[in-house]
Amino acid sequence: MADAIRIDSLKKSFRLGFIPKTREILKGISLSVREGEIFGYLGPNGAGKTTTIKCLLGLIFPDAGTIEVFGQSHLSARARQSLGFLPENPYFYDYLTAAEFLAFTADLFGLDRPERDERIARLLKLVGLERAASLRLRKFSRGMLQRVGLAQALINDPKLVILDEPLGGMDPLGRKEIRDIILRFKDEGKTVFFTSHILQDIEMICDHVAIVVGGRVVKQGPLQDLVSERVLFTEVTVLGVAPEAFRGLGEGVSARGDRVFLRILEETRVEEVLALVRERRGRVVSLSPRTETLEDIFVETVTGK
Amino acid sequence: MKRVWAIAGITFKEAKRDRILYLLFFFAALAIIASRVLAILTVGDRVKIIKDVGLASIQVFGVLMAVLIGTSLVYKEIDKKTIFTLLSKPLRRAEFILGKFLGLALTLLVMTAGMSLIFLAVVYLHTFRIEWTMLIAIAYIVLEVLLITAVAILFSSFSTPILSSIFSLAFYLIGHLSWGLEVLIKKMKAGAGRAAAQALYTFLPDLENFNFKTEVVHGLPIPAGIYLSSFLYGVFYTAFILGLAILIFRRRDFI
Amino acid sequence: MERRPAAARGSATFLLVLILLGTCASFMALKTRTDTIVRKKVPGSSIIYIPSGKFLRYATFGYSSLAADLIYLWAIQYYSTPTIDDRFDHLDHVFSIINELDPRYQDPYEVGAMIAVDGAREVVSAVPDLSRGRGRAEYARSLFQAAFAILDRGAANNPDQWIYLFDAGHIAMMSLKDFDLAEKYFGQCMKIPGAPDFTRRLYANALYKRGDLETSWRTWLDIYNTAPDERTKRIASNHLYQVKSAIDTGRLKEAVGKFRERYHRLPGELADLVRAGLVDKLPKDLDGGDYVYDPETGDVKAATSPWKR
Repeated sequence: MADAIRIDSLKKSFRLGFIPKTREILKGISLSVREGEIFGYLGPNGAGKTTTIKCLLGLIFPDAGTIEVFGQSHLSARARQSLGFLPENPYFYDYLTAAEFLAFTADLFGLDRPERDERIARLLKLVGLERAASLRLRKFSRGMLQRVGLAQALINDPKLVILDEPLGGMDPLGRKEIRDIILRFKDEGKTVFFTSHILQDIEMICDHVAIVVGGRVVKQGPLQDLVSERVLFTEVTVLGVAPEAFRGLGEGVSARGDRVFLRILEETRVEEVLALVRERRGRVVSLSPRTETLEDIFVETVTGK
Repeated sequence: MKRVWAIAGITFKEAKRDRILYLLFFFAALAIIASRVLAILTVGDRVKIIKDVGLASIQVFGVLMAVLIGTSLVYKEIDKKTIFTLLSKPLRRAEFILGKFLGLALTLLVMTAGMSLIFLAVVYLHTFRIEWTMLIAIAYIVLEVLLITAVAILFSSFSTPILSSIFSLAFYLIGHLSWGLEVLIKKMKAGAGRAAAQALYTFLPDLENFNFKTEVVHGLPIPAGIYLSSFLYGVFYTAFILGLAILIFRRRDFI
Repeated sequence: MERRPAAARGSATFLLVLILLGTCASFMALKTRTDTIVRKKVPGSSIIYIPSGKFLRYATFGYSSLAADLIYLWAIQYYSTPTIDDRFDHLDHVFSIINELDPRYQDPYEVGAMIAVDGAREVVSAVPDLSRGRGRAEYARSLFQAAFAILDRGAANNPDQWIYLFDAGHIAMMSLKDFDLAEKYFGQCMKIPGAPDFTRRLYANALYKRGDLETSWRTWLDIYNTAPDERTKRIASNHLYQVKSAIDTGRLKEAVGKFRERYHRLPGELADLVRAGLVDKLPKDLDGGDYVYDPETGDVKAATSPWKR
């Protein structure tokens, strides 16, 4: 499969301030996104995530390095035609209605009338805004702006969708909707490249992940490779057995009401605990092995380096 | 080209919602109508005052509209970050600048047409004739205003609205004081200094080339050659300014 | 596969720079061409709407002094442009504005008057006729009036300055030969502390030229008596001679006239007048000499010129 995005040794410095002081933001970013996958781009604040995206979109001109979109220069018209972009905290022309704004965006792609109108209707339905079509954008809530932003990113039916913090500021229901939409993109064969702080969401939907720290990609690879199946500890909730019985067996024993919560580090001990509970005629309410999550990797990567 | 029109369209929609436009239009109309009252005070030719005030109002308020709206046009897009989604589309940066210019030009044309209508009406009330020659002066005022629009957009693409307004008005002032430099050059001794001053004089804008108010009001003949000369001057200078704006805008990083 | 490397971007920039240079060259060429096209100017159109100085003073927001400087600078250029035929029409108006904006700005008063006098001279002899129907003499006269108006303002606004009255007297005396006016100006001028001594002499001379011989004599006498040096004494003495001669010959001529009325003939010699009882005794000139009488014409005059004594 071809690469949707290929970034090689991207470097960018900025000269800021009255007495110009050069700050190197991107120190050599290299990554590749395969066509048809969902790629998560993470990093702490100030690592250069948004700068990378702006370079990709031609809003910023890199000092060094190459960027290719579907094998072509990222600045070419063909590349632009095949991508859609939703910025963080989107803000659009507040004097236009949602429909007018989408029509304007469609005009920029040179779509003709009937196709344009059909797409607008379809997209508004997709993002759940069909009743707000003639409402001026000034009256939109943040969540609604996010949705219309998503719609404008899709107006040209792009092969590559780039989203900067698409899940930020949305309520859990909204987040689920967006996640579902992104998964649907994958089904349609689209490539999705997005940044997010919310690691659970990334874990839920991404195929591939890159962690950028201090302007460099420090970890990159398929999600499963990064996150091992290793069990960190097991959490057991028990009913009907006194907490003292478990002394010496597990670490972290706590009780609330008649429930006892145990955190067991060694897997072998779990069997012992279960045997004990059966012996005392207690009941195991829940048993969940906690594996390494993306958050653990993330924190380790960012602070460890 | 379709993309340029798309930008022009939303710019027009945005500009015509700006209250400043209507405020200035109101004052222009007020000035034109008040000139009728002023005319009563004068002794002799009354229409002259009406024509002078009217044409001056259309020019001054036209320039103010161009500057006040033009200087925030590009700046707002950058400040509000609407430009990010815009430039990520297959829209060339040159097309963006041209679209903005076209949109504002259209808006100003509509406003000038409105002011001209009121002006011609007031003149008609006095002379019971539609003074078509006024349109010659107004046409070249429009050309001047369009040039100032381009200048405002140029500064708006890299500076804040307040500074841009000052620079644009400075351009307007310099454009009308070109004759001063000419007088100075005549008194200079021939040499490198004079040659440099001469080059500067030819390069700096001469907005008096668009000033036909005196001829039109006094009914003086206008030499035929100057129509085309001034028109082309306006076109080329505007193109130059827009080219400069595009050149600067193309290199810009949007942090 | 379409590739658009950085080179393509570079070529677009190059094209853009070419366009910039092209349009720049075009408009510069057009400007040079447009400059050569002559546009009709309405006479005086450049300054028709300059309001009065009083109004301008408020309009210039406290920069009235600077405004005066700028308008004066403009005026100098304007009046030294010989191709503007009608530039003298509003001379007083223009300089009144400068004067009202900055009454203590000295140069414009003198220079304004100078331009006016120069203009009057030019207007009388210029080809073509600059007066445009008003008549050369009338136009010149109006310019002299302008000169006096400017200088009067200067004197009124600067009572400590003697130069304006002096200039005015000078114009009256030399250009207009209006000795009445000259006497008035010199008389006022000499009262101002710091006025040069010779102002008084000019005053006395103006009196003489005007015909007020008594006052002239008294003034010259005073000058003679208070003369600080030999030269002044000599000048005063010469003028006293002149005035006395005028007074004496005047009286004698009057007597000759009366003699003629009575006896229907001219007297043979001046002594006849004494014998006829018309004169008590024959006056002598300042040096003690006799006056010369011509029996053919009846003319009486001094023996020498006052300056050849």
